[in-house]
Amino acid sequence: MAQNSDYLSRTKRQYFGILLSALLSGGAIVLGAWVLAVYLIHPLSNLMLGLILAIAIIVASWLLSIILSKSLIAPLRALWQLIIHITPNGGLPAPDIESLKIGHELVADLSAQVLQLTSVANIAKLNPTEETNHDFISNNLPLPLFILDAQETIVFANNHAGDYIGIKPSDLIGKNFYMAADMAFPSENTLDKWLKQVKTNSATANMSWERVRLNVLDNHPTRLFDLAAFYNKDNPQHQETVIVMFDHTKQYSQDDQAVSFIALSVHELRTPLTLLRGYIEALYTDFKESGNQEMTAFTEKMNATAQQLTVFVNNILNVARVDNDQLQLQLHEENWSEIVMSAVNTISLRAKVRGIKIETVIAPDLPSVGVDRISIYEVINNLIDNAIKYSGNSNTIKVEAHVSKEGMIETTVEDFGLGINPSIMPNLFTKFYRDHRNRSQIGGTGLGLYLSKAIIDAHGGNIWVRSQPGKGSTFGFTVQPYAKLAAEVKNSDNKEIVRGAHGWIKNHSLYRR
Amino acid sequence: MDPSIEPGQTIQPAGSKPPKKVLCIEDERFIGELYQRALKKGGYDTTLEVDGAKGLELAQSDKFDIILLDLMIPNVTGIEILRTLRDPSKTPHFKGKIIITTNLEQRDDVRQDIEKQADGYIVKAELTPNELVEFLDKIN
Repeated sequence: MAQNSDYLSRTKRQYFGILLSALLSGGAIVLGAWVLAVYLIHPLSNLMLGLILAIAIIVASWLLSIILSKSLIAPLRALWQLIIHITPNGGLPAPDIESLKIGHELVADLSAQVLQLTSVANIAKLNPTEETNHDFISNNLPLPLFILDAQETIVFANNHAGDYIGIKPSDLIGKNFYMAADMAFPSENTLDKWLKQVKTNSATANMSWERVRLNVLDNHPTRLFDLAAFYNKDNPQHQETVIVMFDHTKQYSQDDQAVSFIALSVHELRTPLTLLRGYIEALYTDFKESGNQEMTAFTEKMNATAQQLTVFVNNILNVARVDNDQLQLQLHEENWSEIVMSAVNTISLRAKVRGIKIETVIAPDLPSVGVDRISIYEVINNLIDNAIKYSGNSNTIKVEAHVSKEGMIETTVEDFGLGINPSIMPNLFTKFYRDHRNRSQIGGTGLGLYLSKAIIDAHGGNIWVRSQPGKGSTFGFTVQPYAKLAAEVKNSDNKEIVRGAHGWIKNHSLYRR
Repeated sequence: MDPSIEPGQTIQPAGSKPPKKVLCIEDERFIGELYQRALKKGGYDTTLEVDGAKGLELAQSDKFDIILLDLMIPNVTGIEILRTLRDPSKTPHFKGKIIITTNLEQRDDVRQDIEKQADGYIVKAELTPNELVEFLDKIN
């Protein structure tokens, strides 16, 4: 397991650090002594300066070695303290493990070892306090700890575990762990997936995850933590998996708050927008029915403008999500021509009020695609919106879809307007970047292409641009045919594929139906 | 006698279906009014409710074919209403369709959870009232 060797290499790094600081301080002392000796032999030199220099070097290297060894040895010391703390008659205070960002797997591993040792001690009646092995852990380990059997049923949970997930430890016993702890993981490698893998391939293994999230729906406050697991197939007490949680809610939730603030602002913007669009529509229908052509055209333009604002509000939110690793896509099998046509239909009002016609050429018999409907809509929307904005005096936009040479489904949006200056092409997909020449004439924020790229990347596709100043631009992107993705689905029991543009991935077992 | 007709069942002449009954739980009264107006034109019979607790009570009464459910509403939240309606031990024999209508943004995983339990999920700002009616026509 990559993660396994990772902590070994970290431990190696620590020893290397200690060795390095020892060498450094040793070297500094020799150097200082040598400088001092040179100045003593040649009394003509400035003796005082030489002395000060030598002492300064010695002191500096001494300080350096202290700092180095402190920061490097601290994690090891905490673990050593923990071992003594959780063993019977330990007597050392609990170390501050939460503040240390390393060694999580070691803690799970050690907890498992101590459990096994103490249960042996119990059987051999070596334990003078006659507490069970579980009680030791329960009373002493300052972290939530769960022990699961082969079916992922909780066979033990300490008091901290109960407090942490808001269920009494006694109520936890016998429950499926995934049901009790409703978790979301930041990557596709979830606990569930890992356990399945190690159960078939390994006798023992350990692993840790960062930024795991708990209780996504309940009123219970969200918990954000690192999670470590130790797996041991041949445990005689059916205690196969030891799970330890390291709370980092305070630290991790700061990122969340940035997105929450934007999400709240989005809600506040959307409510008046909903009302505006509702009233505009009512007026439009009325003017149209009464035959007032000028007012019909006005209200149509109002509607198109309000629609554009809605798209922009969505862009702000989604950019915040991308930046905070919270955009999550669900790829489903979809009919591509239907998606493109319905996106074009929605946006055609915006084109129409500017006198632009959207032509669509969609190859017949396109294979079905694996896409996240909502996000891919936004990509098409943004590309056509740009084409409208930069159309200049031309009045046609061409949308095409076909199968590319590589077997991907490629879609292009072509305008015959202003075109893009070659010097700025490389920056087009960067956040807040816009064509400076046109900034004064054309509105926009430079979020659309940045977001589109993030979404297409998460789909496993490519986005590109080709342009000639004065002649127009073509933006194109590819998405994968569903058949290509289906291979991924085959090996899991989920019908859908969840992709993070680097978002949260559910621990899937919970959502089996 | 037609065996498919149960005693006491109201029989309508062919071609004239009774209007579908919609319960709109929405605390922004103006939005509720706009929806009610468009739904009425589209042939739906709409009841408005601004309070979550009263909304839940009404929804559980089995009188409605479609529930339009806002998430951020006073007293009982939309998510709680959704869960209660989908829990057979709390709401037995619930047959209505639940459409979430919200402007609130969820984390994607939360939204996906909600979507799984509901029959539709709509961001209000993205649909005009008439488009909402079209959407309801489609899911029926």
